[in-house]
Amino acid sequence: MRFRSQRVAYPYFAVALLLFGLQMVFGLLAAAKYLGPDPLLNVLPFDVVKAIHTNLLLVWLLTGFMGAAYYLVPEESRVELHSVRLAYVQLGIWTAMGVTAVVGYVFRWTAGNKLLEQPFPLKLVIVIVMLMFLYNLGMTIRAAGRFTTTEGVLVGGLACTALLYLPALFEFDNYTVAVFYRWWTVHLWVEGVWEMIQGALLAFLLIRLSGVDREVLEKWLYVIVGLTFISGVLGTAHHYYWIGVPRYWLPIGGFFSALEPLVFLGMAMYAYYAIRRSGLAHPNRMALHWTIGSAIFSALGAGLLGLAHTWPAVNKWTHGTLITPMHGHMAFFGAYVMIVLGMITYALPGLTGRSEDSRETAANFWSFWLQISGMFGMTMAFAAAGITQTYLERILGIGYLDTQLKLQVHFLMLVVAGILFTAGVALFLWDFFFLAGRPVAVPEREGLAAARSPAV
Amino acid sequence: MTKRAARLFFFLSTLASALIFTVLTIDSHRQFPKLTNAAAIDEHVIAGKHVWHRENCTNCHTLLGEGAYYAPDLTKITAQRGAPYLREFLKDPSKFYSEARDGRLMPTLKLTDQEIDDVIAFLGWISRIDTQGWPPRPILVRGSAVPGAATALGVPAPQAASQDPIELGRAAYNATPPGCAACHSVAPGVNIVGPTLAGLPATAAARIASPDYKGKAKDAAGYIRESIVEPNAHVLTGPTYAAGGRSLMPGDYGETLKPEQIEQIVAYLLTLR
Repeated sequence: MRFRSQRVAYPYFAVALLLFGLQMVFGLLAAAKYLGPDPLLNVLPFDVVKAIHTNLLLVWLLTGFMGAAYYLVPEESRVELHSVRLAYVQLGIWTAMGVTAVVGYVFRWTAGNKLLEQPFPLKLVIVIVMLMFLYNLGMTIRAAGRFTTTEGVLVGGLACTALLYLPALFEFDNYTVAVFYRWWTVHLWVEGVWEMIQGALLAFLLIRLSGVDREVLEKWLYVIVGLTFISGVLGTAHHYYWIGVPRYWLPIGGFFSALEPLVFLGMAMYAYYAIRRSGLAHPNRMALHWTIGSAIFSALGAGLLGLAHTWPAVNKWTHGTLITPMHGHMAFFGAYVMIVLGMITYALPGLTGRSEDSRETAANFWSFWLQISGMFGMTMAFAAAGITQTYLERILGIGYLDTQLKLQVHFLMLVVAGILFTAGVALFLWDFFFLAGRPVAVPEREGLAAARSPAV
Repeated sequence: MTKRAARLFFFLSTLASALIFTVLTIDSHRQFPKLTNAAAIDEHVIAGKHVWHRENCTNCHTLLGEGAYYAPDLTKITAQRGAPYLREFLKDPSKFYSEARDGRLMPTLKLTDQEIDDVIAFLGWISRIDTQGWPPRPILVRGSAVPGAATALGVPAPQAASQDPIELGRAAYNATPPGCAACHSVAPGVNIVGPTLAGLPATAAARIASPDYKGKAKDAAGYIRESIVEPNAHVLTGPTYAAGGRSLMPGDYGETLKPEQIEQIVAYLLTLR
């Protein structure tokens, strides 16, 4: 930590991690419901639990991105944040929105649109918060007059995230048209602009952790983001199968989403290159674990497992089966969860007033491996269940309910792997809240920061 | 590649992708009315869509294959079940399904009769959207569409429904032993190991009339009986049918099957016209 105002990242990370913990509770509950019977059927049915599980994921990841941006932008632009107070106000409103949404879902206050269940007033709050956030970052960068490629890609990704949320505000009478535009938000977030965010955070962490030449990494960052948009924008077509849209989306979806793994392959090669150049020398080895882990797991989960069911001839049979959560769980974990946890692990020593180089705890180490194993197990459980479901229900034509009864053993494995994963998350939280120490206001290199800050 | 070239690649590729995507989006809008049968979207369909969203249906069910995977896909449900059934079902799902038997149950939503009619209208409109042939075969809520597959799910093998000889013959044909169905399908054109028995009475008559016929049968029933008891009386050529002029079918059905069972199977096979 080089600037006083970077400390604002700490409460963002804290809120993000608390919501991450809560997401696990609802995830386990949802998995248990697959085993049935469900004693909470009339109190907290599956649809509520599932909506909360996915919404918490989106909210905590965005909270993590915001915290990461507030940590990264001052350091890249070499200036204090425009307004720390605004950042705190923003976090307050954002958290209140998140909590209201979750409580609202329990009491059946929902827009009932997958992943965009937030009722309209809360959607407006989200837009306002995003504007506050972008204003704060924009003013900071303007004051500094220094703007690196890495932070440009990060801020660009965040700005596009806000922009692409706008289609979610509209309502369409035609369900097909509604689904068409729902993907402008959901797909272009997770397979478009969020990959910009991941790429930028990856670049930042690799530059810091490996000390590799910034010019080289930033050049490849452009290439990766360029590939992301070639494959991601037209790859939206792989959500336009079988939903009442023109037929030409089928070959377009097949071709362009087949290119999507290239992006993740690019990121993995990126990480490999950085390691080759400078070795695994950085003392914050756990930050390195999460960073490299993100590059590898997103290549597997988002790249390979996405490709597994994206071809129209395959998707015709797998569309709407448990193959989708197989890909979804590992993709979100690899691409976004791990990069945020990497950023937190990297920033934490500085935020809590220690040397940036001096931390590796057993708790974080075990958290990493438990989460990796848990997520691997869950992916395998969903895969086995999804393949069996596709074969029995879609190909042989056995009824949905009869098929689900045949999948019980995989759901059992899902619950076991989910418990392992949750243990890993609990360890991460314990490490963050109880072992890492309290945040400090004084930067590690106060004098250096003051000299660099144009405000002084 | 220089950083400048990389930046140019990024801007140009993004611009080109966005441009193509925009053009295709505009063209899709041109086609939406026809593909989605948009003229049929009336106030009931719209009201039903509101019920669909308000009740958060998509977080258990899939529609057009999108949603959650905890409950069956409803894209074609109105074509499969019809409004009278769906109306009763939505009033109280527990009359139709139970957690004990099916593992899952839909909560009772306490919808008004009007809301139920609206949501059925909405689902009816959905079922007529042009989904490019998806699903490739019907997705059923419950039960098995494949003969014999239910046995694998722990349901006992089907018994003869009556004492009718044809019905008893059908049951014997599908049972193992004797295992007739393991080699002979009754579907036209499906040759498993032995030839299909679809249209057997006509085939049998044609074989007897042929100058190549070597057996003693005088009519179709006689031919079928002879083929079961004495497979070598008249041997069909084919790589999986015969070798060295001898049929590959077991030759001991005359001893393992009772005479009345053979007559029942013959009676059944004569119905495969």
